Formats: sequence, C-alpha cells, structure tokens
Amino acid sequence: MSASGSTQSRSLRKLFGLSISEKQALFAYAIILPTLAIIVIFRFLPMLQAFYISLHEYDLIRPPTFIWFRNFIDLVQDPLFLQSARVSAIYVVFSCVPVWVLSLALAALFNREIRAKNFFRSASFMPVVMPAVVNAVVWTFMYHQDGVVNTILAWFGIDPIPWLRSSKWALWAVILIGIWRATPYYMVIFLAGLQAIPQRYYEAAQIDGASSWNQFRHITLPLLKPTTLLVMVMSVIVAMKVFAVPLIMTGGGPADATRVLPLFIYQTAFEFFKMGRAAAMSVFLFAAVMIFTIFQIRLFSRGED
Amino acid sequence: MMRGSSRYRQMCVTYPLLVLISLIGLLPFYWMVACSFKTNENMFLMPLQWFPHPINWHAYGDAWKAQDFTRYFLNTTFIAVAITFGNLLLGSLAGYSLSKFRYFGRGVLFLLILSTMMLPLEVTMVPLFLIVKKFGWPNTYEGLIVPFVVDGFGVFLMRQYLKGIPNELIEAARIDGASELRIYWQIVMPLCKPALAALGVFTFREAWDMYIWPLIIVTKDSLRTLPLGISLFMSNFGTSWDQLMAVAAIGTLPMVLLFFFLQRSFIQGIAISGLKE
Amino acid sequence: MRFIKRLLAVVLLVGVAWICTSTVDAATAPKQTNPGFAFPTENITIEVWWHEYGPFTAYVKELIEAYKKLHPNVTVNATIASSTDMNQKLTVALASGTGPDIMDADASYYVAYYAKGILEPANLGVFGVKSYPELDARYVSGGLASGTFDGKIYTLPYQGNSMSLFINNKLFAAAGLDPKKDAPKTWKDLMALGPKLRKVDGKRTVQKAFEFPYHSPRWQLQDLQPMTEQFGGKILSADGKTAYLNSPETLKALTLWRDVTKACGDPKNTKSTASNPNQDFLDGFTAMWITGPWATPQVLASPIKNDFTVVGLPQVNPAKPHTMVYGWAWGVNKNKPEKSKIVAWDFVRFMLAKPDEWLAKAGFVQPVKGVSETEVAKKFPFFNVHMKDVQTATWYIRSENVNEIAQAVGRAVDSVVYDDADPKTALDAAQAAVEKILKK
Repeated sequence: MSASGSTQSRSLRKLFGLSISEKQALFAYAIILPTLAIIVIFRFLPMLQAFYISLHEYDLIRPPTFIWFRNFIDLVQDPLFLQSARVSAIYVVFSCVPVWVLSLALAALFNREIRAKNFFRSASFMPVVMPAVVNAVVWTFMYHQDGVVNTILAWFGIDPIPWLRSSKWALWAVILIGIWRATPYYMVIFLAGLQAIPQRYYEAAQIDGASSWNQFRHITLPLLKPTTLLVMVMSVIVAMKVFAVPLIMTGGGPADATRVLPLFIYQTAFEFFKMGRAAAMSVFLFAAVMIFTIFQIRLFSRGED
Repeated sequence: MMRGSSRYRQMCVTYPLLVLISLIGLLPFYWMVACSFKTNENMFLMPLQWFPHPINWHAYGDAWKAQDFTRYFLNTTFIAVAITFGNLLLGSLAGYSLSKFRYFGRGVLFLLILSTMMLPLEVTMVPLFLIVKKFGWPNTYEGLIVPFVVDGFGVFLMRQYLKGIPNELIEAARIDGASELRIYWQIVMPLCKPALAALGVFTFREAWDMYIWPLIIVTKDSLRTLPLGISLFMSNFGTSWDQLMAVAAIGTLPMVLLFFFLQRSFIQGIAISGLKE
Repeated sequence: MRFIKRLLAVVLLVGVAWICTSTVDAATAPKQTNPGFAFPTENITIEVWWHEYGPFTAYVKELIEAYKKLHPNVTVNATIASSTDMNQKLTVALASGTGPDIMDADASYYVAYYAKGILEPANLGVFGVKSYPELDARYVSGGLASGTFDGKIYTLPYQGNSMSLFINNKLFAAAGLDPKKDAPKTWKDLMALGPKLRKVDGKRTVQKAFEFPYHSPRWQLQDLQPMTEQFGGKILSADGKTAYLNSPETLKALTLWRDVTKACGDPKNTKSTASNPNQDFLDGFTAMWITGPWATPQVLASPIKNDFTVVGLPQVNPAKPHTMVYGWAWGVNKNKPEKSKIVAWDFVRFMLAKPDEWLAKAGFVQPVKGVSETEVAKKFPFFNVHMKDVQTATWYIRSENVNEIAQAVGRAVDSVVYDDADPKTALDAAQAAVEKILKK
C-alpha cells in the first residue's frame, strides 16, 4: 500500500463522521434487517410459542391448560416416543453419513477432466429434481413386490424383498430414497466448494512431489471446511425433518418401523389432538439438532480464521 | 500433464462409474415416464415391461382434464419463483453480512436464524397461522409467499460459501473507493454463481413441494398448489396408475426445465481470476 | 343385549311395514323448506368443507347449484381436501377460530368435536319436527346413534356403510367354485377356500384368496371389531372409558385374523394404498375382499364390471350375526352467527333429502328409512345384502381417542402378521397403551 493510498483512506474515514468499521457495521446491519424481520416474525416467534405450548395440554380447540413439565416426563417414559426417536436416529445416521462420503467422492470425480461432463452431471443430478410427493409415489411403485427394485435384485440372484410390507426392510427402503435424493445435491455443493480452491495450490504441491492422497488431505479437506460444515449440518437438519416420504409411502408402518419423529409429531398433534405433547416432542428434536449443530460449528471453527 | 497409464485407468474406472451413477440417478425418472405411457393392464406385468408396449397416449390428457391443473401449475410456479427470488436476494445479503463483516451480535443472530430451521413446520404451523391471520393473509398469495420468502437454509449456505471467498478482493475494491452496495452487487455476487444456482434449485424445489402450509392456509380452489392437486387427484376414485404417473411427470417438469437453465451456472466452474498476486 | 337387538329388529320390521303402507311422501324428508320456520332473507355466505371422492364431490357440487337456484341470497363456498388432509386442515382452522359452517368428518371424530364444544345441535324447525326423537324416528334404528349426544342430534350421516364380503365371480369359476353355492358363511368356510383360490408361482404370490386390510389402522379396527363381537366380546365400553383389547374374545379374533391370513392371503404383496384401498380386488389380485357398498361403482368401472357377488360378512356363528357400520356425517359449527347456522342446517337437510340419489350417484347408503324401497335401491347390486349387514351392525367405536386406539390395534395386528409376534403379547401391549390414553 502506497503512502497516497493511506491518505485517501484517512479522508474516507472522516466521511460522515463514522469510522470505516462503523460504516461497514451499519451496512451489515442494514442488509440483514429484512431477513431478520421476516425470520423473527414468521419463524422465531412461532417457535417460541411452540415451546410455550409444550408446557401445556392443548387439544387445539379448547383453551390450553398449563401442566408444567408433565409432557416431557410422560414422553421419556413413553415407549412409542422412544421408538420414534430411535427410528429417526437410525434414519439420520444411515442416510447422512453415506451421503457425506458419497457426495464428496462424486464431487471429486466430477471435478476432473471428463468428456461429456454435462450429460453425466445432469443425469446424476436428476434425483434432486423430483418433488417429494412425486418421489414417494414413484418409489412406492418401484418397491412393489414385482417392481423395478426387486427385478434388478433378481439379476443378482436375490429373492424379492417385501420392501414396504416388512417391518425389517421398510426403514431401509426409506433410507435408500433419502441417500438417493440427497447425494447429488450435496455433491453439487461440494463441487462448488472444490472449484473455489485455486488450481495453483495443487500445482505447487505437485511440483513438490506430493501424492494425490496427500494433496487431498492437506489442501482439499482443510479448504473445504466451510462447505463440509454446511453439508453436515444441513443434511442432518433435513434428515431430521423428513416427513412426506414416510407419510405417503408407509404411513409410519408397518408396526411403527418408519414412524420418524416428524411423522409422529404430526399424528400426535392432528390425529390425537395432543398439541402440547407434539410440541414437547419437537423440543426434544430441536435440542438434539441444536446440540449437534453447535458441536459441529465449534469443531470446524477451530480451523477458521 | 496426464500420463498414459492414468488416462487408461480413468477410462476403465471413471467412465463406467459415471455411467452407473447416471443410470441410478435417472432410473426412477425414467420409470415414471415409462409407466405414464403404459396401459393399466401392463402396469404390473411379470417379467417387467421396461418399455411400454402398446403405448398409451391418453394418460396425460385424461389426467390433466380431471382437475384444474393449469391453474395449480401457474399458482405453484408463481409462488415458487417469488420464494426463490426472495431467498436468493435476502439470503445472500444476510449471508454476506454474517460472513464478511464484524459487528456486535453477529454470532447470536446467526444462531438465531439457524435455530429456526430446526423445528418441523407441523408444530410451528398453528402459531404461524394465527400470525398470518392477523395480517389478513389467509387465502392470499402473500400468505403463501411471505413467511417463506427467506429461510435459514439460504442464509447458511451463502454464509458458508462466502467465507471461502478471499477478503482481499473486497478490501481492494474498498480501497478503490467502491460503495458497499456496489461491492456486493458487482464483485461478490458474480463470484457466488455456483452457490446461488445451487440455492436456487433447492429453494425452488422446496417451494414447489410445499404441501402442509398451502393445505391449511388455502380454502379457495383457485389458489391451490400443484402438490395439493396431485394429492387430491390421488384420492379420487377411478385414478388409474398411468394417470397418476402422468400427473407425477407433469409435476416434475418445471424442476427439470429450471435445472437445464441453471446447469451452466453451477456445472461450469468459476475462475477466481480477479486475484493477482 | 340380545333382547334389545331383537326388540329393535321388531321395531324395524314394524317401521318398514308402516312405511310400505303409507304414501311415498311421508317416507322421505320434505324437499321444500318447511314453512314452520323463518328462512333468512339477507345475503348469507356459508362454507362447506368435505373430503374428496369423485362421485361424491360431483354430486355435492350439483346440490350446491340447485340450492343457489332455490335461495339466491345464499352463497355456498366449497372447499375440498383429500380425506387424509381434511382432518388436519379442519383442526387447524378450528384452532384458529376460522373453519367452515358445515363440516364433513367420519362419525367417530364427532365425539371429540362434541366434547370440545364446537357442534351445533340439529335445528328442529328446519326439519319440521318438534323433538329429537321425532327426527331420529326417520332413520333406521340406531342410524343416528353415532351423532347423538346427551339426547340431542348433532350430526346427520350421508353414508352408513356396512362392510360385506365382495367376491370375484371369474376367479371363483376358474377354481371350480360357484359364488351362489360356495360363498363362505363362516370364517372356517373362508379358510377352506384358501388353498383353492390362492395361487403361488415360486416365491411370488400371483393371486390371493382373501386379504385383510393393512393400508390403514382404522380399516384394521373396522374388521377386528365385528370379529371380536362375533366371539361375544367388544372393543370398547359404551361410555368409551374402558377398553377390552386383551380380553379372551379379542384374542380369539386376532388369532383368527392371523390364521385366515396364513391360509388365504399374502400381506407383503399388495397394490392397495390408503387412497385406493380396494385396488387388489379391482385388479383381480384377490378373489375376496371386505368393503362397503360405496365400492360398487368402482367395481363396476373396473375390469370386473358386474361379474361379482356380495354376501354378508363372514361370521363365527351365522345364527348370531355381528357386523359393523361406519359412516361420514355432516356437522354444523357452533361458532358462527345464528342465521348462518339456520341456513347451514337447512342446506344439510336439502343435501340429504334424496337418499336414492345418493345411492345412485355415489353409492352411499344413508341409514334412513325408506331407502330400500326406492327404485335405485332395487337396481343397486346386492343392496339387500348390504342392508342386512347394516341391520345387524354396531357402529364403529366412538371415542375422543379413536385414532390412538385404532393405531394401537393396528400396531398389534401388524406385529402379529408381519413379525410373527404372539397375539397375546401384542394385545397386552395394545391394552396397556390404550389404558394410559384413556386415563387422561
């Protein structure tokens, strides 16, 4: 920076009587204001209200009655809630972790020089394009005893699996859809992140004789940290809220095998008329996701400047 | 720079892998379209009929006529475009604010916005409905759009992506005397094309998919959205599988079109050419 | 209990005899507004919400048009949602003080709505009666039982469906059976037909003899309830406070369910869904299926056309038949202006005025007197079978917690059928769950 440059910035600083950092802060507040207003009014306030409702017994029609923490106490003893929490946990773990690995691997694959790149990338992105309701309907079709999935399994000599009509397999059927749908999406996010890494870092490493694996470990992964945090947190939040597919495909059955927490919350609120209880369940769900998110952010911000 | 053996390796491993992945991605999509052209008798034929024969051309026409799908289609498109636009604009502004500026309360605001994503809509729906009612927005486009015109996801995604953009570019522009708004619009946003495209696709899909909210806020048939129309169609007696698949295919079409438009933006890489050391 | 049933049967016979000897007009509700009360003259708008079902939606829309011509100052706004969505939509609307003037819900839901104080009792003036029993007398005995609380009538059913056994004639013939002679009367008969009608190809089931429903817990309870009663038990006490899910009779019913399924069905293999519960039967994938008269138009429109037979629900003891009836009913919202409520009840009266049209256009049987004598009923396939099952029926259980109870039962059935659980253990678990629910 030349001397004339600093003189210029000093005079800028004197503009409006505010320091540069103050001006910037004002700008930053201004541009986040509309978002904040909408999110506070339409998301945050209802959220607080939902927490408040969780301390009540509320059947949605008669006025709520305050019952302190009884909902929470009842829930931890309720085998149905625990079952639902278990189902959700299994779903989240087995549909998120494979997605993290697969989407990163695919992004790395697609980052290379490949012919017909556009076609391949478009084709593998198609799962993202299907709306949830359509997805559920088509996959129900495909999971039928004589459907596509079992036909393909038969090519490998595997007997037909009663996917949606078996308490053993139904959840895996739903998990498979979850992985299928999420992987291409996070692949694209990783791809965007990968492409933001300047090529010259790799070139320099190659000159120094580093192997591709070392390049990956020491250049790619660290620089992908913000993206990885995003993918991990988003995929968990989305997986915790999955609702349409189990609702339409199995209704939560057979025998509660696919009754994920959002579905159970919905049924508790609108079929059993127990809004207070449903809100209490959401608090548990919220707490779980919040803890995970904060933990992840802490973990990742250690390396950030 | 590639040596001969690694190119060979690439051919043997990479390409078959890509083909496999593409097939997996396309399969349900293909199946949906194929079934929409099958006759009902052949729908569950064993062994499976991969290609419809004879071809049934009626399903699309019959299904479309059954309900006011044109109206639902237009409604949903309008709402989805509005919500996507809002998210792209407001989300990127908010993400920019949270990632490239330091100010009091930044961390808290971020956490606040993030936290709103964690509760399922089913629970916040009733309080939200009461708030929307106070604004007088039941049965209006505003009621369908405004509560979702910006979402924590967009803010989060843009924040993370922007964190990866070097600060030098912005600093350089500031020294050159550019206003903050200009910096945002002319320097930062163009660099975000891949993230914006990714956010755009995701937001559009979520907005397109919206089911529960339109369900409870809309009573007029003229405001019904496409997913609701599809659900209504499914519960109609006399729905045959071919028509159902046809309706599903129609419901996917806008997403496919949007994707083809945006393909370039995020499939082409960005070159951070502005950085010269 | 048996004595009361006999008494009711006698009353019914007398009632039918009386109707047959009176003029046609007296049997059906008046088509014009009763001059005995004042119909509002100002402009009134009312909202009707109902669940989507093709022929039903079409007919109600017709009725709305006709009513507009009759009363130009009344606007009727319609909102339609799928049956799975309707409940949620209605609940949220009621929770926020909005909601329709006229609602459509399954009869068992109205217990909850009544308990929450949102129902308006039927307007006697509109119906031209002086007391609720007088209105009740227009229906077959027990017809309005599900909508009557504390002696007042709050809802009127537009369908009272019995569940009877539908048989695919062609599949019977292919197995060398004659629907007229070989149709099962008891569950044992049904099981005996299993080997003849179930076809397997390797590990795939190509055709089922009979299947119980698995697409919704509600349907499962609808079948389990009469089976339990056939063994002499019941699911829920009349006051809805005590459940008998693990009684010996319910246990026998669930065990029977399991045995029938093993002999006749293949629950893992089905195309039926919540929105198309009859699909397997319509596709000819199952030879026998239990459903209601409303399915008749669907069957006629399917490849089966009219090559089917309907017989009464299989019994444990044909001498003491027990069947089940459920239905959807119209109710009126209490939290609306007085004049709107009058118009609402009048519109309900108007809608229900022609039971023969309901039968002809939607396949819905109103449990009202005189339906059997109409021309439409005489032409409706196997109407007498459906009506007979209605007459020996008890209504689907009535409780504020009906959905939770159904889910508990469905859970037990699913675990027995899919996971080979022991029926006693499954039912004990269901009973424990329901007792906890009922205690609150």
